[in-house]
Amino acid sequence: MNCEQFQEILPHIIDDGGQDGDAEARTHADACPACGDLVRDLRHIAEQAPLLLPMHDPSPRVWSNIQQSLISEGLIRGDRTPGLASTGSANTGPASVIALPQRPRAWTPLGSIMATAAVLLLGVLLFNYRPKPAAGLKASDPASADEQLIRQVSSKDPSVGKAYEESMKQVNSYIADAEKAVKNDGNDSVANEQLMDAYQQKAMLYEMATARSQE
Amino acid sequence: MTQAKKVIASGLTEAEAIDRAKNGDAEAFEALYGLHKRRVYSLCLRMVSNTSEAEDLTQEAFLQLYRKISTFRGESAFSTWLHRLAVNVVLMHLRKKTLPEVSLDEMLEPQQEDAPKKDIGTPDNTLTGSIDRVNLERAIGDLPPGYRIIFVLHDIEGYEHNEIAEMMGCSIGNSKSQLHKARMKLREHLKFSRAEKSAGR
Amino acid sequence: MTNLTRTAYMAALLVVGANLAAAGATRQSRLNLGPGAVLTVVTSGGSVSLHPGTEQQVIVNSTTHSDRVEADVHATPDGKRGEVVTHVLSQQGASADDLRVDYDIAVPPGISVTLSTATAPITVQGVSGDISISSDTGQITVRQISKSHLHVRGVTAPVTLTDVIGTHVDITSTGGAVQLTQVSGPTVEVRTASGRITYNGDFAGGGHYLLSTHDAPIDVFMPAFASVDLTARSSTGAVDPPELPLEKKEHTNVLPAPGRSFTGTSHSGSASVELHSYSGRIRIKKQP
Repeated sequence: MNCEQFQEILPHIIDDGGQDGDAEARTHADACPACGDLVRDLRHIAEQAPLLLPMHDPSPRVWSNIQQSLISEGLIRGDRTPGLASTGSANTGPASVIALPQRPRAWTPLGSIMATAAVLLLGVLLFNYRPKPAAGLKASDPASADEQLIRQVSSKDPSVGKAYEESMKQVNSYIADAEKAVKNDGNDSVANEQLMDAYQQKAMLYEMATARSQE
Repeated sequence: MTQAKKVIASGLTEAEAIDRAKNGDAEAFEALYGLHKRRVYSLCLRMVSNTSEAEDLTQEAFLQLYRKISTFRGESAFSTWLHRLAVNVVLMHLRKKTLPEVSLDEMLEPQQEDAPKKDIGTPDNTLTGSIDRVNLERAIGDLPPGYRIIFVLHDIEGYEHNEIAEMMGCSIGNSKSQLHKARMKLREHLKFSRAEKSAGR
Repeated sequence: MTNLTRTAYMAALLVVGANLAAAGATRQSRLNLGPGAVLTVVTSGGSVSLHPGTEQQVIVNSTTHSDRVEADVHATPDGKRGEVVTHVLSQQGASADDLRVDYDIAVPPGISVTLSTATAPITVQGVSGDISISSDTGQITVRQISKSHLHVRGVTAPVTLTDVIGTHVDITSTGGAVQLTQVSGPTVEVRTASGRITYNGDFAGGGHYLLSTHDAPIDVFMPAFASVDLTARSSTGAVDPPELPLEKKEHTNVLPAPGRSFTGTSHSGSASVELHSYSGRIRIKKQP
């Protein structure tokens, strides 16, 4: 066997550790310094490769995008949406906004009832929710979650923080008024739609603030 | 550490996080992401060698995970399941990028100038003991895509040739051949780097 | 020239040169993006101007005003994605001016663009791809867009749309005023909490229009020939009697409330128009 012949079959034997039928190849590798070196190098590369640890983290925008998709697909339910926290660092508090139903185009009586049930559920969750504290965090209510959000934005730019503060007040007032209207008349389709609008504006503020704080 | 006992940042074990994620628990999603993001992203980055693409693929892998998590029955380790999902996401992406007329085998086969040179009758110092992992990472990033994919899947991620052949839609022989060429190319690259270093460049 | 004069002359040149340097360093970058590609622009302060280009490449002219920021412009090798991102290199002691980057971006047809700023005003004119804009407080101005999708989000960002035709429009600006002039499309939806909404146009194309606020006024100026099926409602505010002849209709899903609601049709009622303000005032006036 010459070197060329040896290297032809090398791909098929190198990982198999040598077989009876490859005695000729083994003999050649033992006798030929170049081919012997080649086998040793290739095996060394193969041995080193699994030791390469995963050492890269994706940028925070990846999680931010995943969050938004989870919310829009309605895959998140229950305790809280992933809020301002970036994974791997201390959580700064929950967003007290929960996945929102899609805005219906045409209101039918059945649609009104279902939407009313959805927004009432959202309203109950939003205003009665007390989030479980993650490790190392204090429990917080929705108002303090809003404050944390505003503080986070303000730390980057106080003027922008002021804008968020003002908008948050307006949106919370909108939610309160819209809830009152829905409470008065659950069949009022416009009131239901405005309540959903109000929630979605709040969700928008949280999304935008999250994106801003991760830039 | 077994899956059941792994405790993640939020105080949940991985098993608890998986159960809760099946019920749509947001904190659980976040916990699973935190635990696995680095490995998934590193896999994607090594396979496509582009940070933007790797981030998109990471995002898609986790979204597919969350959509399918209710189907996870625990027959394999969760990380293995996620890992296979991530590999499939990357391969689907690479297939879409390839022109439809070009077969996967053709995509895997780099241009002639990228193919490794035959190394016959030229004894040289071996690499053994002289590879540092930074250089190896760099060299992997420089591999032509076809070689890189097979190398990452086999030597780094530990898939067998029959598994790679099934995933890639190629033959086992092709997988072995491509892997060999990838290693040869890496050897060239690493020897060249070492020669440059000793020449003081 | 005496030595003194020469020295003074050199000093003056130095001052001028320093001022020119401080005025900004402009760099041009070109991106090869194919049809259907997405361009993402992320910046904080400065300005962004987006308009059509004459070439097949995306051309980005970025002007920085200090060495504390850099504009990072790059695209993926497959030409499907491009990014223009402002990176702050050193924030300590930097003024708002130091951190500004002004972008002038020319795009070929068919590129979708996503723009995100904090305070930088954004101007978009004449482009043909889908546009998505997010701004905290920076003014948003969009002109001469047709047959597209326009998605706008703002915190207190004022929004002005002019000559936006045949376009799906979706605007949410919590506290920013929204002004629409000659805007029409299959769906035009504007939502604010306290931002005033002004619509000046004919609701052309028979689409669905929704203008909704919490406590801000809504003013609609439309011509007599506009063909609309209009519903206006303010739960605790007021709806002024329309200045145009609209034939009153009885809608089953609107609770009659004197002075707080109105439903009516003009001509064939092609466009569906809904005006909702929880506690603001709604006015429907004739276009001057």
